[in-house]
Amino acid sequence: MSSRTKFIGAVEIGTSKVSVLIGELSQGSLHIIGVGECQSRGVIKGAVVDFRAASEATHTALMAAEQKAGTRIDEVYLAQTGGHLEGFYNEASVNVSSADNLVSAPDIDTVCRLAKAKKLPDGRLVVHHLRRPFRLDGRNVPDPEHLVGQRLEAGYWTVHGVESMIAAQLHVIRGFNVRVAELILSSLASGAMLATAEEKQNGVLVIDVGAGTTDFVLYRDGCAQITGVVPVAGSHLTNDLSLGLRVTDGQAEKLKLRFGRGTVTTKDRNEKVWLNGDFAIGDRQFSRHSIEQITAARTTELFEVVRKKLGPAFSPEKTAAGIILTGGTANLPGLDEAAARVFGVQVRLGEAPSWVTENLRDPSFTSVLGLLHYGISSRTELSAPRRRSRTPGWVQKLFASA
Amino acid sequence: MSESNSTNVSTRSWRDIPQQVKPRTMGREGKKRLVLGFGNIVGVLLLVAASAWGVYELVHLWDTNPTRITSPTKGVPVRDFTVRTDGVLDKAWVQRTLDLAKSASLMELDLIKLKGRLEESGQVSKAVIERRFPDILVVTLQERTPVARIMARIGDASPVVFVISRDGMVYSGFGYNVEMTEALPFIDGVKLVREGAGFSRIDGMDVVADLLGTAQVDAPLLYRSFKVVSLARFGLDRTLIVKSSEVEVITFGSSQDSFYKQLARLDYIIAETRRQNAPGQLKSVNLSLGVKQVPISFEPPTPVNEPKRGSGLNFFRTAAPTSTPSFFAPSRNTSPSKREF
Repeated sequence: MSSRTKFIGAVEIGTSKVSVLIGELSQGSLHIIGVGECQSRGVIKGAVVDFRAASEATHTALMAAEQKAGTRIDEVYLAQTGGHLEGFYNEASVNVSSADNLVSAPDIDTVCRLAKAKKLPDGRLVVHHLRRPFRLDGRNVPDPEHLVGQRLEAGYWTVHGVESMIAAQLHVIRGFNVRVAELILSSLASGAMLATAEEKQNGVLVIDVGAGTTDFVLYRDGCAQITGVVPVAGSHLTNDLSLGLRVTDGQAEKLKLRFGRGTVTTKDRNEKVWLNGDFAIGDRQFSRHSIEQITAARTTELFEVVRKKLGPAFSPEKTAAGIILTGGTANLPGLDEAAARVFGVQVRLGEAPSWVTENLRDPSFTSVLGLLHYGISSRTELSAPRRRSRTPGWVQKLFASA
Repeated sequence: MSESNSTNVSTRSWRDIPQQVKPRTMGREGKKRLVLGFGNIVGVLLLVAASAWGVYELVHLWDTNPTRITSPTKGVPVRDFTVRTDGVLDKAWVQRTLDLAKSASLMELDLIKLKGRLEESGQVSKAVIERRFPDILVVTLQERTPVARIMARIGDASPVVFVISRDGMVYSGFGYNVEMTEALPFIDGVKLVREGAGFSRIDGMDVVADLLGTAQVDAPLLYRSFKVVSLARFGLDRTLIVKSSEVEVITFGSSQDSFYKQLARLDYIIAETRRQNAPGQLKSVNLSLGVKQVPISFEPPTPVNEPKRGSGLNFFRTAAPTSTPSFFAPSRNTSPSKREF
């Protein structure tokens, strides 16, 4: 990694809001120097449907962050989510080539290349190749080089998405004349931020419940095993309330935030709550039990969809560290109880590390914080063996901007 | 998948999506950044080009006509002088000597030439000239101090008095106190040789300066009686011959004894002569032979009824001085027994 100071923008174009953080990366240490937020427009379930509206919202958030930071962004790490994202697992194996059965670097390269070489359907692009631990003669090894064995196996969880949808998000950022350096799955960003190495080793499921989508990642043996995106999230709870109580989306959102719960706790069916509470004309009363029933039913359904999508890969026994919930909808009371009922494991709300400032500790900032964390650590790993570029940084910066 | 599967299946990544965007599809802020980016490039290119052109012009000018390099500052003439000196020369003298044209600019001046002009006068041993922008010339002078005088005639002109410094430089002398210069003894027994606008240096002036300096400090009455110092025999036996109002010829040796001791001896002899009511005035005292012998001679006494007192030559042997009215012995050597006269 270059030793010069770099200003990295972490951007998440969500369904309800666009979040931008600017990190100052200098000498390997990261300082967050700017925050920008804007209500999202033109984005449904993580996919850009109105390019102009999405661009305006994103650029507004980027400008706000740059103004707060007092600097210009050099490059962007962009969060990727949406129902179009899918994944599959593919593995390959090779016989160790050397006569003394010592695993060499070419063996590892070959098996990795084979494991990643699976043709995707037309119009789809790889977003991530997530490697699971190597297996040497059936045993898990983190790094097989210089170990003795006969058969080396490697497996990758490949995340891929629709080219046009990914390109649309890239072009929203390019419209600001900044290059996208990393495209990172939202769930991986959240997981990198919240789950410890020990939890990842023991097995942990991180669920990021946003407004339009729910992203999840299952860790085991220290690696991401499965990722996924479910196009059901907080906005569906609002929508259900709107339909069930016959109120507008705005009123439903208010009711959800004030009285919504992941589980039903109100026993008295006659307990009423006011829509606005200001006794103005048009203010109405609703049954609290009904509100909780609607939100709890949808929440349970959401987690069941996630569990169904995980399939046999998830088992409570192999998820000893339980479930970590995050995302804007994770603020809904009782969400952890609902998740615990569905998955049968302990559930906790994700907490940002202590170095995160108070104004960024809300769960809705987890994935955008994780973007910086994950992006920098993955780039460090990738660039470590490479030779440092001899081109001076300021020249690159000068020409990159044009 | 097994090893037998084809390995040349290429999976396209999101990095394969071209990130070039046409300006018309950019947002307002994007376009602004694009313009700024191009502005940066153009600015840097212009800066590089201007620097290269400047260097080229400078090298070209240096090769063809270096004096033109100073031309940009020609418009600022020298407004004032600042003179710093350890002697007596003043700003008016510096201005007269440098003789700068009124329109001369600071950068146009040839400082080496001006420095030479100041040092040519002889009175200035070292001159430093600095430019203080935008229009001040700073002149720092280190002056010579005169130790003796000399009469010299240049051409058919009438003889003129020059002064001589310790390093043998002969020069006119400007701004000195008249009483001070008139108290200086004359130098004799040297042949002045013209060198450029002045004279070549006189050898042995450092020894003369030591003698006169010691006399001036330790025996001011004796010093005031010195009229002429001759270097006629300096080249032969390194002796200095002094003509004074007290003794016609005093011979000082420069190699055997210190001038301090020789002056003390002379002072004693003069005092003793007076005390003993010597018949004539002292004609010569030779102090160059050392502590054992000091040949002296007297003027022949006036023939009016005075008894003849032997020859005019006598030798003073060691004797304790009774008084030294004109000699100030330093406190560190006040014991008469230690004063080896």
